[in-house]
Amino acid sequence: MLEPLLFAMFSGVAIGCALGVVFHKNSVHCALLLVGVLLSLAGIFILLHAQFVAALQVIVYAGAIMVLFLFVVMLLNVKGEVPLLTPGAAKGFGFFFALLILVELLWTVLSPGGQEGAPSEAVGLPRDFGSPAALGRLLYTTWLYPFEITSILLLVAVVGAVVLAKRKFF
Amino acid sequence: MIGLQTVPLLWYQILAAVLFTIGVVGVLVRRSALIIFMSIELMLNAVNLSLIAFSRQHGDMDGHIIVFFVMAVAAAEVSVGLAILVAIFRNRETANVDDVHLLKG
Amino acid sequence: MDLAFFIEALVKILVVLGFVLLGVPLIVWMERKVLGHMQDRIGPQRVGPFGLLQTIADGIKLFFKEDLVPAQADKVVFAIAPAISVVTALAAASVIPFGDQFRIFGRDVPLHITDVNIAILFLLGATSMGVYGVVLGGWASNSKYPLLGGLRASAQMISYELAMGVALVPIILMTGSLSLAQIGRAQGHMWFIVPQFVAFTIYVICAVAETNRAPFDLAEAETELVAGFHTEFSSMRFALYYLSEYANMMVVSAVAITCFLGAWHGPVLPGPVWFLIKLSLFLFFYVWLRATFPRLRYDQLMAFGWKVLLPVALVNLAVTAVVLVLKG
Repeated sequence: MLEPLLFAMFSGVAIGCALGVVFHKNSVHCALLLVGVLLSLAGIFILLHAQFVAALQVIVYAGAIMVLFLFVVMLLNVKGEVPLLTPGAAKGFGFFFALLILVELLWTVLSPGGQEGAPSEAVGLPRDFGSPAALGRLLYTTWLYPFEITSILLLVAVVGAVVLAKRKFF
Repeated sequence: MIGLQTVPLLWYQILAAVLFTIGVVGVLVRRSALIIFMSIELMLNAVNLSLIAFSRQHGDMDGHIIVFFVMAVAAAEVSVGLAILVAIFRNRETANVDDVHLLKG
Repeated sequence: MDLAFFIEALVKILVVLGFVLLGVPLIVWMERKVLGHMQDRIGPQRVGPFGLLQTIADGIKLFFKEDLVPAQADKVVFAIAPAISVVTALAAASVIPFGDQFRIFGRDVPLHITDVNIAILFLLGATSMGVYGVVLGGWASNSKYPLLGGLRASAQMISYELAMGVALVPIILMTGSLSLAQIGRAQGHMWFIVPQFVAFTIYVICAVAETNRAPFDLAEAETELVAGFHTEFSSMRFALYYLSEYANMMVVSAVAITCFLGAWHGPVLPGPVWFLIKLSLFLFFYVWLRATFPRLRYDQLMAFGWKVLLPVALVNLAVTAVVLVLKG
């Protein structure tokens, strides 16, 4: 009883905030609405027993990436000169294409073959599902190579961002 | 053992599809580079939701690991992308993607 | 999920909320008295015995001040920015354990509102969200000095949050759990400050920087940048920022006590009393820092956080991990 209610609440907030991100005029408000989407998704992750990923979502995504976004939005501070939507016929084409994607995705999900491969009822979960210990165990054994490569990727990103932000080299 | 879920998998997938589509609308229709960036983040989050929901259905934590990597890559992408955006803005004083068309044929 | 569970939760929430909201005036009074005596003067002494009601009088004064909203300010964000600061500070107080459990009416009642098994991550998340209160407050004022102060304060908070998290990881390694109640229970024999004094030092420095307190309060001090990010906030909005700063201090001190100073363990007195004693001593230490040290310049502050604290915390983490593996 509680779970469908919480899911309805979180998904309502998520969709509302997502529509606000796409259609709102003020960039800072859009960034804040995106934070709202991220937090409601974190709530849904907790409903799905993914506690560690939900905590990561709040700390990394909503707490660091979006702060970076906000800084850049405030720094650029473009006020109202940018037209809201694409002028002319391209706007209609954009909406139509998005509608096509939505229809395609829903077709895949709702068709009888769409849930193929997933067990028809959720399996009972082990006690430490979604806990940091279980994730750590997987991360450092099966997924060790992607982990190391991702750390190199993050190093590259840090160096790249610093280089791009310099005003002049020496 | 944690009990069976009462919200069916289908609802999570539909929510993910809707969020993804809203993100696509944002990328195609808005002209401000920052908003396009935010819509891309929205799409990434929709995919994360789908992965976690399937992971719950299978009882397998590989989905969580993939989401972990998606978040790390998204962080890297956002920092480099915003640095590029700031560099462009410094030169051209505009954040409208229609104005950056020097390579247009 | 029966009625007794809800009543227990409600009572605990009211107790913790009351404790934090009533503790803040007491901390403000203590700060003013202690600062006064350390600066060779007396501090508040007229309103109430020993000036105890001074903070209440200040609160009433703030309540009656005019609530100004700057002309071109963003009204919605201006309204929610102080609220974000307060909500994150109070939310972080919900996972802090005040003592072990005790039996009342035939139930085992653990002395924390909830025992999330990722409590430390929850705390880090709450402090991350607290950055928004500062940066949005600075931006929504639509004014130069608050914006600069807000950006500086939030950059400082993000940088020191990192070192704070890394400093807490050796504690997690030693306990094997992220839950604060577990960490508290694991210190029955030896407080974690003994093997982890480096981590404790780093954590204390980062805690002072996180809460924007002296000597790291460049972004909001009165002699710099007017008053930083909360310049344009008056009346109850300012009171909310003030409340959130001291509530943050309490939460961060409580976490330091739980992780390093033995939580509620102590010889004769019951757990919560020891917790209170340790919390008071830690808050006194906070005020002592403010009275003693000059302010750090902003670039000194950032260089210190990134170039000194973070590497030292990482080295400490590596050494702890190696020692734990060798011990088997």
